[in-house]
Amino acid sequence: MVFLYTRRMHNSDPSAAAAVSDPVIRVEALAKEYRVYDKPEGLAASVRSLFHRTSRVVEAVKGVDLTVGRGEFVALLGPNGAGKTTLLKLLSGIITPSRGTARVLGHVPWERADDFRRRFALVMGQRNQLWWDLPAAESFRLHQEIYRIEPSRFERTRDELVDMLGVRRLILQPVRELSLGERMKLELVAALLHEPEVLFLDEPTIGLDVVAQHTIHEFLRGVQSRRRMTVVLTTHYMKDVAALCERVVVITRGDILYDGSLAEIVDRFTTHKIVTLDLDEVPDQATIERFGFPCECRGPQVIMRIDRNRIAEVLPEILGSAGVRDVSVEDVPLEEIVAELFRSDARDAAASAGAAS
Amino acid sequence: MSDAVARPAAAFQGLRTWWTMLKISLEERLVYRGDFALGTLMRFLPIVTQVFLWTAVFGATSRADIGGYTRNDIVAYYLLTMVTRAFSSMPGLAGGIARSVRDGSVKKFLVQPVDYVSFLLAARVAHKLVYYAVAVLPFAGVFFLCRGYFPPVPDATTIAAFLASLVLSFLLGFFMEATLGMLGFWFMEVSSIVFGYMLVQYLLSGHMFPIDLLAGVPTGVAGVSLADVVRWLPFEYTAYFSSAVWLGKVRGAELVRSLAIEAAWVVVMAVACRIAWRRGTRRYSAFGG
Amino acid sequence: MNRYVAIFLTFARACLVRDMTFRANFILECVTSLGWMSMNLAFYLLVFTFTPEIGKGTGWSKEPFFAFVATGLIINSIVQAFFMPSAEELTEMVRTGGLDAVLVQPLDAQFLLSMHRVDFSALANGLVGVGLLAWAVPRLDQPPPPVAWLLYPILIVCGVAILYGFVIMLAAATILMGRNQSLYDFWFYITNFSRYPAEIYSGPWGGPLRMLCTFVIPILLVVNVPARVIAQPLTGQTWIGVAAAVIAAAASLVASRIVFQRAIAAYRSASS
Repeated sequence: MVFLYTRRMHNSDPSAAAAVSDPVIRVEALAKEYRVYDKPEGLAASVRSLFHRTSRVVEAVKGVDLTVGRGEFVALLGPNGAGKTTLLKLLSGIITPSRGTARVLGHVPWERADDFRRRFALVMGQRNQLWWDLPAAESFRLHQEIYRIEPSRFERTRDELVDMLGVRRLILQPVRELSLGERMKLELVAALLHEPEVLFLDEPTIGLDVVAQHTIHEFLRGVQSRRRMTVVLTTHYMKDVAALCERVVVITRGDILYDGSLAEIVDRFTTHKIVTLDLDEVPDQATIERFGFPCECRGPQVIMRIDRNRIAEVLPEILGSAGVRDVSVEDVPLEEIVAELFRSDARDAAASAGAAS
Repeated sequence: MSDAVARPAAAFQGLRTWWTMLKISLEERLVYRGDFALGTLMRFLPIVTQVFLWTAVFGATSRADIGGYTRNDIVAYYLLTMVTRAFSSMPGLAGGIARSVRDGSVKKFLVQPVDYVSFLLAARVAHKLVYYAVAVLPFAGVFFLCRGYFPPVPDATTIAAFLASLVLSFLLGFFMEATLGMLGFWFMEVSSIVFGYMLVQYLLSGHMFPIDLLAGVPTGVAGVSLADVVRWLPFEYTAYFSSAVWLGKVRGAELVRSLAIEAAWVVVMAVACRIAWRRGTRRYSAFGG
Repeated sequence: MNRYVAIFLTFARACLVRDMTFRANFILECVTSLGWMSMNLAFYLLVFTFTPEIGKGTGWSKEPFFAFVATGLIINSIVQAFFMPSAEELTEMVRTGGLDAVLVQPLDAQFLLSMHRVDFSALANGLVGVGLLAWAVPRLDQPPPPVAWLLYPILIVCGVAILYGFVIMLAAATILMGRNQSLYDFWFYITNFSRYPAEIYSGPWGGPLRMLCTFVIPILLVVNVPARVIAQPLTGQTWIGVAAAVIAAAASLVASRIVFQRAIAAYRSASS
């Protein structure tokens, strides 16, 4: 996988950006730096830090270019601390960048114009935005006031959203009595009440069970396609990505490493296929060696990683060998591809740091 | 017999624990340097108001003294009260115990070979030592500036009694608040009880004014003033008493008697704390928290 | 504007619903704050057994002084009920990142952050203040003239505005520093100076202190000006005080606005 870090895979060159029709988000050279103070350990050091504190600059996001068109569903992927959430906060105007420009729905986000803020929503999976001690219906009412939603429209939207998620009976129960999944569903309803054109989701499925995740996927897909809403989502679950996003932006260490379709990521970064053979009996060492590929045995089952380019040529041969009862050929799981993507970038960074010193 | 062998090692271990606790506590304070510098001096601000209030009161009355206190005595009294309070006040102690019961972190003291009350006491001593180390400068500064308000330094006996009363007031404050916190085993929310306690404490400890001013307040029983009642309660020993000793308001037999009352209250509260802990933990393990 | 009133009412209603859900707690809070207040009143009563007035020739004898105390109770309870709880919660919001959710809403952040919690139990003290005022005013040597009654509520509002400015500036400090456990302490220490008539601050130390707390940190104007208007004869000095209070209120609001905007601009947001 050497080619991964010999050349950065940027798809967001100007020509690609121009190809995006009706851009809703347009970001150029956006950067955010933080000054962090070292908190020294030990008594003497603490005393010293009273008079002199050492600090350094951390680049959370360094010069990102990104264009997102109306109706796109984009996933931001990256390891923890890569700058995904910072980017999301910049786009929603919570923090001001150190450099660069951004336009979301034609507005500079961090100017926080009311007109802008009425047109998007931000949902953070780890934070609760509903009133804890009150039924969600009360929070919805408050949203109605804050976003100036017309009463008839408010009721229509609310009922529609609530029914889509099947949470109608929950909205009259105090939020603190609800499960995490139920709460998340109500958070989504609250965020979508004012029919935002852009939705930012920060790890919306974190900590949820499979059923709740699935419900939320269905819901988001439904709402997004119906309203032609633009959605940017950060997540660590490839299930979210596979279920929802056509476009994937991979961020590591504050930089965009890859920007393109999900299919392309798979196409580009999978060098191998997983071939699983069901044999008649548990194979002996000689049989395994005959295949000539690294493999893993689970009883009569043999799992092999075979170079993609050679698959067509070696498969008949394998099938021809005695005792193969069944065979399946699969792509490497998405998780593995992305993990490899992150890892290779980290190795790249280590290598360049080593070269520099 | 193994106990005798284990004791020095345990004592050493205990010392090390103390030392670590002391260091961490000090570091924690130093990190928050903003609060650290300002906090201690800010504590004197309410006294400034009190001093001006009493100056105004003395300016308007024809009396030379109120309840035996001249204006200078009153100023000195409030300043000394700060010292006593520095020993006897236990911020967060009762609340902390109650919280540890509520969130279950008290469990580890049922499992680990550490006595909870001793542990708390050790932590509190560390906490206080750190505080004194930090606060001694601002305190010294304020007292130096206000030295004119104080009577001449008292004799050695009075000073000894003053110091003894300070140590006792620390223990008394600790055991009273710890016992309150232990009520968390029985009540879900002790914050209201703590508040009630603080209220009574505020009024009857002498934090607000010298208890001698209550000498003229009748209780309904002939010949018994409110001050006489308060004398037998534990509260005044957490603020009023030590200050009054330094100012020479309590002397001779009365001094001995008061010290005895204070010591008795320390014993009573220490026993109460123990009992509350025993009963509380028994109840806790019986009901599974 | 209408929208802001509507939103505030929604907040207030939600808080009332919440308070009524935890009724026992609500009552307890009322009782505690009433307890503290009565403790202080008892102290003042005790003081007046030793002296006819606070400060010679200041006119702050028992009844005017209790009108003063009542004014302080009313002003403080308004601040405690409407602004303090929100400001206190802000500390928590900065720590947990809850502030993010506020910043994305199409609403003035200062409004939302300073008004979204209402603590109705704090109004208990204000009610006692009104009662105390009703007791003290008829017992004054001179009944307050109509103009005093006209000015009184306006000056109460000014006092609240001055304190509101302080609360907001302290809250802004919370945002800038990322933490501030002692917000309430600061508050207590600052407002402590406003608890007594300004006349007590006299002499070589008191004079400068009075100047400082009148013109630099206008804390002495908060209670003193309205209390003086209602409980003392109107003099030229009173009118100067009235003008100063109005100016201080405006300045406090403007300053708080500026500081708050700066703080929001510098907000770092808790890391993901």
